[in-house]
Amino acid sequence: TRKFSSTDTNKSFLDGLTNARAAEILARDGPNALTPPPTTPEWVKFCRQLFGGFSILLWIGAVLCFLAYSIQVGTEDEPVNDNLYLGVVLAAVVLITGCFSYFQEAKSSRIMDSFKKMVPQQALVIREGEKLQIDAELVVLGDLVEIKGGDRIPADLRVVSSSSCKVDNSSLTGESEPQTRSPQFSHENPLETRNICFFSTNCVEGTARGVVIGTGDRTVMGRIATLASELEVGQTPINIEIEHFIRIITGVAVFLGMSFFVLSLILGYTWLEAVIFLIGIIVANVPEGLLATVTVCLTLTAKRMAKKNCLVKNLEAVETLGSTSTICSDKTGTLTQNRMTVAHMWFDNTIHEADTTEDQSGLGFDKSSPTWAALSRVAGLCNRAVFKVDQDQVPILMRDTAGDASESALLKCIEVCCGSVRDLRDRNPKVSEIPFNSTNKYQLSIHEAEDNPAGHILVMKGAPERILDRCSTIMVNGQEMPLDDMWRDSFQSAYMDLGGLGERVLGFCHLILPSSEFPRGFTFDTDAVNFPTERLCFLGLISMIDPPRAAVNVSQRIQHVIMVTGDHPITAKAIAKGVGIISEGNETVEDIAERLNISLSEVNPRDAKACVVHGSDLKDMSAEYLDDLLRNHTEIVFARTSPQQKLIIVEGFQRQGAIVAVTGDGVNDSPALKKADIGVAMGITGSDVSKQAADMILLDDNFASIVTGVEEGRLIFDNLKKSIAYTLTSNIPEISPFLLFIIASVPLPLGTVTILCIDLGTDMVPAISLAYETAESDIMKRQPRNSKTDKLVNERLISMAYGQIGMIQAMAGFFTYFVILAENGFLPWSLVGIRIMWDDPNVNDLEDTYGQEWTYEQRKIIEFTCHTSFFSSIVIVQWADLIICKTRRNSLFQQGMKNRILIFGLFVETALAAFLSYCPGMDVALRMYPLKFFWWFCALPYSLLIFVYDEVRKYILRRCPGGNLSSAFHQGCGNPGC
Amino acid sequence: MSRTKENDGGWKKFVWNSEKKEFLGRTGSSWLKITTFYIIFYGCLAGIFIGTIQAMLLTLSNYKPTHQDRVAPPGLSHTPRSLKSEISFNVNDEKSYKDYISSIEELLEPYNEDLQTDGQNYEDCGADPQKYRERGELENGQGKRKACRFSRKWLNACSGVGDNTYGFAKGKPCLIVKLNRIINFRPRVPTNNETIPEPITSKVKPYLIPIYCKHKRDEDEGKIGEIKYYGFDGEPAPQYLQPLVAVHFTNLTQGEALRIECKVFGDNIDYSEKDRYQGRFDVKFTISKS
Repeated sequence: TRKFSSTDTNKSFLDGLTNARAAEILARDGPNALTPPPTTPEWVKFCRQLFGGFSILLWIGAVLCFLAYSIQVGTEDEPVNDNLYLGVVLAAVVLITGCFSYFQEAKSSRIMDSFKKMVPQQALVIREGEKLQIDAELVVLGDLVEIKGGDRIPADLRVVSSSSCKVDNSSLTGESEPQTRSPQFSHENPLETRNICFFSTNCVEGTARGVVIGTGDRTVMGRIATLASELEVGQTPINIEIEHFIRIITGVAVFLGMSFFVLSLILGYTWLEAVIFLIGIIVANVPEGLLATVTVCLTLTAKRMAKKNCLVKNLEAVETLGSTSTICSDKTGTLTQNRMTVAHMWFDNTIHEADTTEDQSGLGFDKSSPTWAALSRVAGLCNRAVFKVDQDQVPILMRDTAGDASESALLKCIEVCCGSVRDLRDRNPKVSEIPFNSTNKYQLSIHEAEDNPAGHILVMKGAPERILDRCSTIMVNGQEMPLDDMWRDSFQSAYMDLGGLGERVLGFCHLILPSSEFPRGFTFDTDAVNFPTERLCFLGLISMIDPPRAAVNVSQRIQHVIMVTGDHPITAKAIAKGVGIISEGNETVEDIAERLNISLSEVNPRDAKACVVHGSDLKDMSAEYLDDLLRNHTEIVFARTSPQQKLIIVEGFQRQGAIVAVTGDGVNDSPALKKADIGVAMGITGSDVSKQAADMILLDDNFASIVTGVEEGRLIFDNLKKSIAYTLTSNIPEISPFLLFIIASVPLPLGTVTILCIDLGTDMVPAISLAYETAESDIMKRQPRNSKTDKLVNERLISMAYGQIGMIQAMAGFFTYFVILAENGFLPWSLVGIRIMWDDPNVNDLEDTYGQEWTYEQRKIIEFTCHTSFFSSIVIVQWADLIICKTRRNSLFQQGMKNRILIFGLFVETALAAFLSYCPGMDVALRMYPLKFFWWFCALPYSLLIFVYDEVRKYILRRCPGGNLSSAFHQGCGNPGC
Repeated sequence: MSRTKENDGGWKKFVWNSEKKEFLGRTGSSWLKITTFYIIFYGCLAGIFIGTIQAMLLTLSNYKPTHQDRVAPPGLSHTPRSLKSEISFNVNDEKSYKDYISSIEELLEPYNEDLQTDGQNYEDCGADPQKYRERGELENGQGKRKACRFSRKWLNACSGVGDNTYGFAKGKPCLIVKLNRIINFRPRVPTNNETIPEPITSKVKPYLIPIYCKHKRDEDEGKIGEIKYYGFDGEPAPQYLQPLVAVHFTNLTQGEALRIECKVFGDNIDYSEKDRYQGRFDVKFTISKS
């Protein structure tokens, strides 16, 4: 400020900037707003959808198709258009799914944007001596700003004058306590000093004036936000899985392609033919429908999660939560209810437990004691908090209050236990009061007591030890007793107990002011204190805590939940115990030391599973020490952590190979949210910056919703595996006809069009329906997926899908193919080598086994009928495949057929196949021909075989998991999921 | 760069991990087990497959395929085969029609009279078309059934007896035409004379399936010249020698592409839009002389 006011007089300083000067600075510094993180242009996002992950595989396929087609155009007189069509279809599939997922994400980001469009912030500035209400964006450096309770602070301010101003810095530092602000310079560190208010924090009460010392990105908040946007984000686990999958598929495709390339050269095909075959085989390996299936499955899950209040910004993040092994949770709001509530009371030498549950389902306590009556009166009277108006319908605990958090807690508690506090206050009107201040650490007020018609009552609350010091008696069961050492000891132990629970404890006392000395109308002077404030009667203690949410009990969960908070270690530990982050029976080093009564250094740190780390210790730790700490403790609480430290913690876990989820709402969390594998922001309390940085938003701010997310994430991983297994299986019956065509020179059993009909037609709905499959066992009891060993697609799944089920399916298809040709006159052995004649349009008298002569067109019709029937056979064996893919270990008879979508899928698939075969005009459009009724049943025995084989396989797996009974069996067809 | 190196190391290790003695991620015994498993698995699968194929074969008749709806009505095929239904040759260049001649030769080979002498298999049905001879049901296997003799000589100028170039050397090519054979299919003579083109109505004899060729495009009218038909097409022996018709184009305009369509007429002979060889065919002649 000196910079600006040096030439001005003090008077002109109080007038604020001139409008001209303000405009000048605004032009120089730009508006007072955080630069939004560089938003990716829409077309880049779109391209990312088009060329990311899976799409690449399809693009390569399409390019290869076009390449093969151009070779054919260049070398053949009448090229077959199949490759061209296939290329076009592949490209179309990528484009359509790309558009689909692009719009899907655009929809979520629109919901995100709706958060941002809040009422534009206003700020009260003083310019040219006048108070102006302007947009917060127009506030400039050097402006004089006035703030009051309820305002959001428009910029970083240095306070020049204040009156009982308190700010809530929780979004910046994580501290939930409101903090006093005054012109007093109290600390070197700008974050600690009293005289600076930070941009985007809230003023809770009081008023203050300050000079703007930083705007926009130059504010403390701005710097954190910038830190977040500069972080590199790693790949999502599902992306890694898909890449791994692509690698496997490509490996298989290239291997098959190359071996048949060599084989076809040996068989005497020309180079060009061999190249066309090579490309054909590689392309045939591309599962055309899988991209769409995966996208739809993820979208369905995202929708399901959105219904349960988890909004997912990025489709791929849907699964991430499921594979999360470590959750770094913020305390405030997520694990706790984010409102102070009375937890315990100590009176009559007993600790009474108040009901802290959200729905008041907990136990009450004995309210008949006269001590309680006195205590509750003091708590109600010596209390400045009031309910905001028009909330009669709202349950008491949910009502909004004006006032300090702990006073509000007391207000609600008394309102619940003893009826209307307002009536109480009306009956006992306040005559005088001394508000709380940090020097005397108490608050007192004097009321005209209703039970003392002529006199007054003095009520006081404050820091327990200070209150006790002022007391000479203690009320026990309504009787005043002298406060002797015994009572002092029991007070001490109660105070220690409650403090040890991480609760904020307040002491209460009162004094009946006799009417003789202080009659009604007596003027109480709070400055001169013309009334006694010593030798009072101690009533009891009330302790408050921000209680854990009811639904949060992480103890049964396998995930590693770590608490990272800005709160005090003791409070943090208490909450951690309350929600099960530190489970019962687990001790920290300190606990062990205390229990065994030995010094800290004597305790073997390996004995302690739990640990509480102070943020300032974290600063001095080496990376190795931190790694060691994270490895050896399962239950960790980080207290008093700064944004950078959160980042260090997240990175520490990621170094261990963990997949880390971070929850947070404050701006200070945003770097960690961004760095985490999945950042979870809070929808209600969360700041814009944190929502920007997060991948997922909990619309109800409830940690329990994360559990839903984890559950859905794990389920979708399982189900995606099933979908992929299902889709991949039909690849073998699709490729093998082409291979047989090359090797044995038989008429082509299955054409490109029919392959596409399977991949993009009949297989789609059933594959998607697997996303609706319910979990086989309690999904939450499982360990989180080990991202190194538990892959989406592994060799076993491929071996199962390709090597076993796929082969049976191929046999079914070939059987139908041979049946049709044989019934029409071409017996199987006469087909070998027939290809050249068969495909020659000039041969119009090709003899079959019976000596009948076929024209080219007649042969082609029978060939396409074979394609159709091969196709229908695949549909029929895919029935069985769908049913066996439903479960990974359980028998169908255990799991049942409850998935209605799946049954629907079976019908759709069959109806579609029948439609494609029988609809008039299909012979022209897709060259698919009507099948004779009996031909549909050729594949049925194989379908049955698949089902029986897999049931037996699963039975063996269940009976001897990993057993030695038939090791070869396990090697070959062990659970594809394990 | 360092990343690719790492990957290389990973690959090498994957192919052969000397620490664990793993080849492609599996130990020797593991590979053995998995191979055993797959051998057994595929063995069983192959067995099941062959079993089902055998079962299917049992349902088939030895003489007649189960379904004939795709092969009938029969196609009309001609020899020599044309490449994209085009027959072009140079009268003075023997090589240009050598393939055509040899394919006709090959077709007519079995029709040599010395191959039809065996009385066990053949009987004389006369040179004129007659009624079908009933030779009993296919399925009752009482010895061999006899087939009618079909003499090559009946093809006159196209029999190759006098002119072993089948007219190609003179620019008057022969086409040997036959109705595709279908088991138990008996072409019926047209009952409706109106469908038969005028020029051949006079030639229609009982028990004869008439065939008629004409120019396809109107502008070619008059360039085709006389077409002679030898042999006969009708009342054939069902199995052994298909009756043939030789179409002799005796006066084709040379040096020009001429499209000719031949059609066979019968009650149960049909034509299809898509199948250009069903009951008809068309062929393009380009005869050059230089």
